[in-house]
Amino acid sequence: MSLSGTALWPLGLCPLIPCSWSYGRGRGRGRGRCRGSASSDPYVLELAESLEDSLPSSPSPLRNLRMASSEALLSTPWPSRREEPFRFTDLSFIRNSRIHPVSHPYPVTLLTPLSDLPHPLYVGPLSALSSPSLIHQVSQFLSSSAPHHADLFWSINGFAAPDLTLVYVPQGTHLDNPIHLAYHPSHASDTMHLSNPRVLVILEKGARLHIIEDFSANHNHSYWTNAAFEALIGEAAHLTHSYIQSQSLSAAHIKWTSVRQESSSTYQLTEVSTGAKLGRHNLHIQQLGPDTVTDLSTLHLSVGDQTQDLHSTLVLDHPRGYSRQLHKCIVAHSQGQAVFDGNIQVNRYAQQTDAGQLTRSLLLQPRATVNVKPNLQIVAHDVKCSHGAAISDLEENQLLYFQARGIDKNTARRLLIFAFGGEVIDKFPCSSIRDTVRTQITNLLDPSSV
Amino acid sequence: MALSLPTQCPHTVNPLRRSPKPALLRRLNHRVCVVSAATPLLQVNDLKAKIVESNVEILHGVNLTVNQGEVHAIMGKNGSGKSTFAKVLVGHPDYEVTGGSVVFKGENLLEMEPEERSLAGLFMSFQSPVEIPGVSNDEFLVMAYNARRKKLGLPELGPLECFSYLMEKLQLVNMKPDFLNRNVNEGFSGGERKRNEILQLAVLGADLAILDEIDSGLDVDALRDVANAVNQILTPENSLLMITHYRRILDLLNPTHVHVMDKGKIARTGDLSMVEAIEAEGYETVSSLT
Repeated sequence: MSLSGTALWPLGLCPLIPCSWSYGRGRGRGRGRCRGSASSDPYVLELAESLEDSLPSSPSPLRNLRMASSEALLSTPWPSRREEPFRFTDLSFIRNSRIHPVSHPYPVTLLTPLSDLPHPLYVGPLSALSSPSLIHQVSQFLSSSAPHHADLFWSINGFAAPDLTLVYVPQGTHLDNPIHLAYHPSHASDTMHLSNPRVLVILEKGARLHIIEDFSANHNHSYWTNAAFEALIGEAAHLTHSYIQSQSLSAAHIKWTSVRQESSSTYQLTEVSTGAKLGRHNLHIQQLGPDTVTDLSTLHLSVGDQTQDLHSTLVLDHPRGYSRQLHKCIVAHSQGQAVFDGNIQVNRYAQQTDAGQLTRSLLLQPRATVNVKPNLQIVAHDVKCSHGAAISDLEENQLLYFQARGIDKNTARRLLIFAFGGEVIDKFPCSSIRDTVRTQITNLLDPSSV
Repeated sequence: MALSLPTQCPHTVNPLRRSPKPALLRRLNHRVCVVSAATPLLQVNDLKAKIVESNVEILHGVNLTVNQGEVHAIMGKNGSGKSTFAKVLVGHPDYEVTGGSVVFKGENLLEMEPEERSLAGLFMSFQSPVEIPGVSNDEFLVMAYNARRKKLGLPELGPLECFSYLMEKLQLVNMKPDFLNRNVNEGFSGGERKRNEILQLAVLGADLAILDEIDSGLDVDALRDVANAVNQILTPENSLLMITHYRRILDLLNPTHVHVMDKGKIARTGDLSMVEAIEAEGYETVSSLT
């Protein structure tokens, strides 16, 4: 057991009896604390304790979330490779580290100047929110929002998120400038700092927003970011979501994105993940009404001994939904790995759905690995659905074409890799992000160019 | 012999090459040939090559010399090794040379990487140019042009500085400017692909241009455009080696030498008059005559 830095109980003393779990700030060993449950995992119990110790007094609206999460947390063992969602994703890197949960300072910073934001739009910590009705709305939402396949990491975040960044856009409000959230991990040399940032976006009817989530790091420190992002997109509202993950190659990055779409709403996600030793994105989209549009474009790049994993679920329960998903992976290292599990459910009432999914992977080194599992589950009968998967190296013919015109093979390879990823990068609405991401990828593929 | 860049308008064009009178042209080509006969550009000696994957030998000892300013045509049946010969010359990785030698501008061509062969002044138009999604035509051309400038010790140019140069070359192949914005060969028609190959030749220039079936799949107008462009690119200093099945392009480009390839060798060499014999009697008869 490696969680030595923060363990309060020797494991042998942890009573293995079903128990109640206090979500308050009970101090003192054993009093008001977890008593464990027959099915729980001692490692998770220990982690839960250290999480609880790290928590500040939380704003009350998070209490419901914390209560719901604590129950789930205590009944969920640490995921094993025998479970389908983690079959190809090895979590031992986290488990073998000494975890130290930190809740201060809160790792999310707003880069957009608040003065630009029209009232009554709200962007900021939940703890600073004064509107009772909005607090109530958020509290209600949080207690019922867990996605169907929520896992241990969702529960850890729900339990340990010290605060929540709320982005609330009232009815009919269009925001021209993007809301830019930057995440700064804290780190130490001997332990793996765990942070649990959480963001909730509420778009009311007809609202429009572009949100940028930027998880970056310049240093090669070891830490664990366990982030959660939730969005409720109201009727005919429009959310554009840019997500850039370029964290340290010694870090673990686990992220949940859970989106609910009301009728005629649009959700557009563009993701480029290049960082972290272990990167896992759980993307869950639930359709709440008809005529929704969902557009997902993701690019994962492994240039080192890295795993990049996308597990996505799109659940369509209403008519005339339109969805496009493009997932691309580039594995440029013999110990690199990419994992994709893309599930689209077209259920009984989702008639006239038009759903398309395509995944393409580039394996640039011998023994580079990709595990892809695109899957469509179609119950409705009047639908148009397609999916495809391709895995390849760069084409020799294309390389020769460059060489035959005097362009050397390395330049040609780099250009072709860029062209492959460009299809996703070009979908970022902001040119500054496109440029940043291109530079990042250039540096990763060719460190000598830095 | 230094590699030359066609940096300006086709000012060095031999206007007589564009003359519509074939009889005159043939004589003039002959003259050019005599003038430059002493300067061999490409010397292929007993070249043997096999397909790497299947180990099947395709070229069984090809001998060919192309001198500066000459225009050669290689004809021959399907499967006789014409395209393999062209691909071996540019260094296609699917083929392995098992014997013989190739000297280009006095250097051992077979020791060079494909990009070095290109930079040395050898150009081949691909029979079926590959699509390159995500890379635009102008990006590709600027990059290739700059690779050449770098080789010549010239400063590299930005996309804007290259623009007028590219536009001028674009007119040569009779294409609209939006051709540059499209991705390389992506969704191009057969004719557009061939024009694009010639556009690349015009931009990059070459001492020896190998045109592998540049005429196949072209309609009459496109063929005329392509032949016109090639005639304008050609100067008395550079040479052409074309592979074709059809007489029409030969009439437009007036080869000084015509070769018939058979079973991986050059079986016969003559002039344009041999083409008439081929058309009348077929390859079998012509290649068996010695």
